[in-house]
Formats: sequence, C-alpha cells, structure tokens
Amino acid sequence: MARLELNALTKRYGDFHAARDVSLDVPEGEFLVLLGPSGCGKTTTLRMVAGFVEPTAGSISIGGTDVTRLPPWKRNTGLVFQNYALFPHMTVAENVAFGLEMRKLSKAETAEKVKGALDLVQLGHLADRYPRQMSGGQQQRVALARALVFRPDVLLLDEPLSNLDAKLRQEVRIEIRALQQRLGITAVMVTHDQEEALTMSDRLVVMSEGQVRQVGTQRELYETPASRFVAGFVGRSSFLEGELRDGRLVTQGGLALETPKPVHGKVTAALRPERIAVSAEPPAEGTNVFPGTVELVSYMGGLIDLHVRLSPSDVVVAQVTNQGGGTLPATGDRVYLSLGSPAVFPASDPHARGH
Amino acid sequence: MTDTASSAPARTGLTAAALVGPATAVVALGVLGPLALLARYSVNKYDPYEFMIAAVSPENYVQFFTDPFYLAAFWTTIRISVLCTAVCIVAGFPLAYVLARTQSRFKNLMIIGVVVPLFVGNAVRAAGWMTLLGSRGFLSVSLERLGITQGPTEIMYSELAVILGIIAVNLPYMVLTLQSVIEGISRNLEEAAFSMGASPATMFRRVLWPMALPGVAAGTILTFILAMNAYATPVLLGGPEFHMMAPLIYDQFQLNNWPFSAAVAFILMASTLALTVAAGIATRQRFRT
Repeated sequence: MARLELNALTKRYGDFHAARDVSLDVPEGEFLVLLGPSGCGKTTTLRMVAGFVEPTAGSISIGGTDVTRLPPWKRNTGLVFQNYALFPHMTVAENVAFGLEMRKLSKAETAEKVKGALDLVQLGHLADRYPRQMSGGQQQRVALARALVFRPDVLLLDEPLSNLDAKLRQEVRIEIRALQQRLGITAVMVTHDQEEALTMSDRLVVMSEGQVRQVGTQRELYETPASRFVAGFVGRSSFLEGELRDGRLVTQGGLALETPKPVHGKVTAALRPERIAVSAEPPAEGTNVFPGTVELVSYMGGLIDLHVRLSPSDVVVAQVTNQGGGTLPATGDRVYLSLGSPAVFPASDPHARGH
Repeated sequence: MTDTASSAPARTGLTAAALVGPATAVVALGVLGPLALLARYSVNKYDPYEFMIAAVSPENYVQFFTDPFYLAAFWTTIRISVLCTAVCIVAGFPLAYVLARTQSRFKNLMIIGVVVPLFVGNAVRAAGWMTLLGSRGFLSVSLERLGITQGPTEIMYSELAVILGIIAVNLPYMVLTLQSVIEGISRNLEEAAFSMGASPATMFRRVLWPMALPGVAAGTILTFILAMNAYATPVLLGGPEFHMMAPLIYDQFQLNNWPFSAAVAFILMASTLALTVAAGIATRQRFRT
C-alpha cells in the first residue's frame, strides 16, 4: 500500500518505442486502469512496474523508494495474470502460502494468513484442492488471494478477466474492486476492454503507440475526450469529417453542423450514440437536426442501435432505449436526428487535441 | 439411424485394432519372440565342442556374479551410466531452458545444432574423438606446445574418453526431452514466483524443477538406457582393456558361448529396468512432496 510514481518511463526495442515517456502518479489506494488497443504499451508499462522489463529510460518509485533497478523479487508487488498462473503442483493453500514463505513467516502465522486470504475470496473450503480441480473464476480468485496475502505495496493486474466467460467476468470484476477498496491497496490494471476499465477504475489512462493519450476519471474521459482517438476508444462515437465553412462544419455529403467553438481547416466531429435524439417527425427545437434513413437496426434488448444515413457519405449510430409497446424503428424508416453539439477535433491526427 | 448407432462401437473397435495391430505384431514377433528364446538359451549349458546343450541350470548366472572380471564390467557399466546421466541432467537443463525460452528467430537453427551430433555415425564420431584425444591428437599436442604438459597426454582408451563419448551422444536426447517439457511450463509461473519474492534459485527449486520433473524423469530413463547399452563408444574409445556390458555380450557371442551371452544380456536388461524403475519411483515421490 503505497504511492506509485512513473517518471518519463521509456522502453525501446531498437527503433521501436514500446513505451515512450510514460509519467503517472498513482496515489495510495487508487485503482488505476491502463486502457488501450493491443500493442499500445500498457502491458510493457505494467511489466516495467513489476520488474520483468527493464526500462530504457525513466524511473519507477513505490512508496517513495526508487525501484527502477530492483529485481522483481525485491519489489513487493502482487501480480495477477490473465491465465491465473497458479502453481499446478501445489494446493490452493500452498499457492497462497508461497509469498509468505518467501517472507519467512512462522508456520502458524502463515496458516492464519492463508486462511484469512482465502476467506476473503470465499474459497476457504477449497484450500486443499489443486488448481486443476477448480473453475476459471475460482482459480482467478485464488490468484487474487495469493497476490494480496503478503500485503504488496502495489497490486498489478494483467487482463485478469479476459479468460473468464461473461457472467464470471462480472462477478470477479466486482470482487476485485470490492477487495481493492476494502484493503485500500494501490492497484494498476491493464485491459483492452473499455467497459471493464470504466466500471472498475478510479482513474483511467488511455494509451496508444506507447504513449499516454489522456488521464482522467471515467467521466472526464467520456465527457471531454482529448482527441479523436480517445473519443473513439472510451465509449462509442460516430465520426463526421468535414471542413469549416462560414463558421460551420460542412461534411462531404453536404451536412452543415453548428459547432460549439469556431474551428479551422479539416475537422472531425464526434457524436455519442445515446446523445442523439431520434424522432419520426421533425422536432420543434434542437441543434443540428437532420433527416435520414434507417439502414440497420441492431436490437440489444434494453437498447436499440440505429444506423442512420444522413447523406450519401455520412452515417451515424444513434442509440435509443426500448420503451416497450409501440412500433420499433425498422430498416428504411425515415427519421429525424437531433445531433446536439458535437466534440470537434482536427482531422489530420487522431491524437491531436480537440477544440 | 439406428443402424449406424448400433454398428458405430463395433467399427471403432475395428479401427482401433487396425491402428494398434501392426505395431503390436512387430513387437510380439520381433522383440518378445527372440527374448523368450534368449531366456531359454540363458539357462542352457555351454560345451566347447557342441557349443550349446539343452538344460535348465543357473550356472551362467552364478558364473557371472562370482567372477570378479564380469562383476567389474557390471559395476563399471552402472557407474559410467549413472555418471553420464547425471552430467546430462546438470549440463542439459540450462541448455534446454535457454532453448525453450529463447525468442530468437534462430531458435530452430539452435535446435538443429543440438541434434547435429546425432547425424554422425558412431564410428565416425569415435574417429573424431581419436584425433582430438589421442596421444598425437589435437589436445595432447596443443598442451605440449603451450608448455602446459611435458610429453604426450593420453586420454584415449580410458574411462574418461568413454564418459566423454557417451555424454556427447546422450546429451541431445536429454536436452530435447527437457526442452519440450520446459516449453510447456508457462513463463508466467516463473514471474508469479518472482513477484511473490522468490529469488531465481528459489524459483527454480520450488517451481521450475518440480514442474520439469516428469521431463527430467523421461530424459533420465532415455539417456540411462542408452548409456547402459552403449556398444560402439566403449569399444572404440575405451580400447581392449576397458569392459562394459554390451561389448561383453558380443564378445561371448563371438566365442560361440550363446548361453552365457544370453545370461549377460538378461542381467543387463534386468538391471537397466530395475534402476530405471527405481529412478522413476524416486522422482515421483519427490514430485508429490
């Protein structure tokens, strides 16, 4: 339980930057999630914190101590892997006891702590099982107990839910988050799943191409994405590309959008599907209202996605809630979309700051 | 539908028989048959004029275990086999580990490098050792010229030469066996151990070694059997004064003493089997704890 600081952390393989100038400050007890597509450097960053990848430049400190040059076994980090990584030749209790043995705790103390840790993940009754006799969800909970039992300074989670099926994923997700909060432990998790990232974290770090693109709370990232990339990666967005003409964004297909702030040159507007209002008749008021044709209806139960064509080159996704009764929109229907006020970014570079 | 359902098990049975049959037949005819014959011969009696006289007598076995010459060959064989196998484990494990974990694009070349010694026949390999280890060989001459030794150094025709020769043949088997087992051990397990505070030595002792034990056992059995039954290497590198079991069998056979030869063959086989099983039980018990 300690503050984790990464200072301009860089990992280079030849000309390739796996991580570039990653600076993060994780206060004690925070749950930080590194989010990004595969190859964005999030795993490299996590492995540098754990000590398995030696940084080319920069430094890492845990609880105010510089650990950059320390081997993994001297860092006091708890690690949870995607594939659980439980020792198959040891029982659940032996697995959990491993970290305590390394710390030379007495037998009695070890037994007591192992029991406590297993009770914490509600698996006390399976202490004598072998990992292969357990389900994936149980194994990951054992892995969690094993990583927490010796009170690491930082808990590191490398895509811990990716191997679990949807229902278990939900359960273990809640369990990890609840434990982390209860123990007040500093945690860093890597994931490519934005829903996971949004629901578990105190703060999110969006990465791509080895660089940190934006850091903030879920709400900050969702409401005010710093770039087109973040707008597309955190939550969903439809993008309309166009050029600024007479203070308005004019798309190739001829739509003219009002933008909240004046913009210049080629720009991209990002629209959240659930912020678009759909109506059968032209609405009495609203900004950026355009007629369009429903091209695709994607029924998801409580929510319905409508892919609506507004012009020969502009399609946006609008999400409506399923109110029940009445008629559902169908392919070919004529609808009116109120796009509201979009976030606008320069079109040239997906990572350029927005306006 | 009912027709296929009822005939399906019969057909699988037939298929299985067809798959297992040929190999079983070859083993039965080619191994068990001669073995039975050999067992019968080993209790026969030898006569210098008639060669083999039908009998049921323990004479050949008694002779083997009472004659210091044969007993010495027996112990030499076991000693050398145990030593060579131990060296193969100690030298082979690091090599296998590196091969298993390397990310190098030359990995396949490295594996071929390990196997290459097996491409060379035993006689050719022995000739190679002779040019290296003989009294006028590379090593001896180099040592002399460098002033490290005076006079020729003779390593050929010694136990050391045989040990070196057997290790050179057996090491690839050990390395390949261990490599495939280590490859099956997730790197994450090692990292998990490190993250919990285990030093590399502790990680090896508590995680890697116990998990690799089945592979160590397989490699040990393989190399031990090969060493116990080595023929060409002891003959060519050990010289006429050096005696191991496999050449002994052939010598007796050459002398037309089939009964004694058969008895020695059985003793070799039984002792190899006994030691292999003992090693297997030992590793399995270690594996449990």
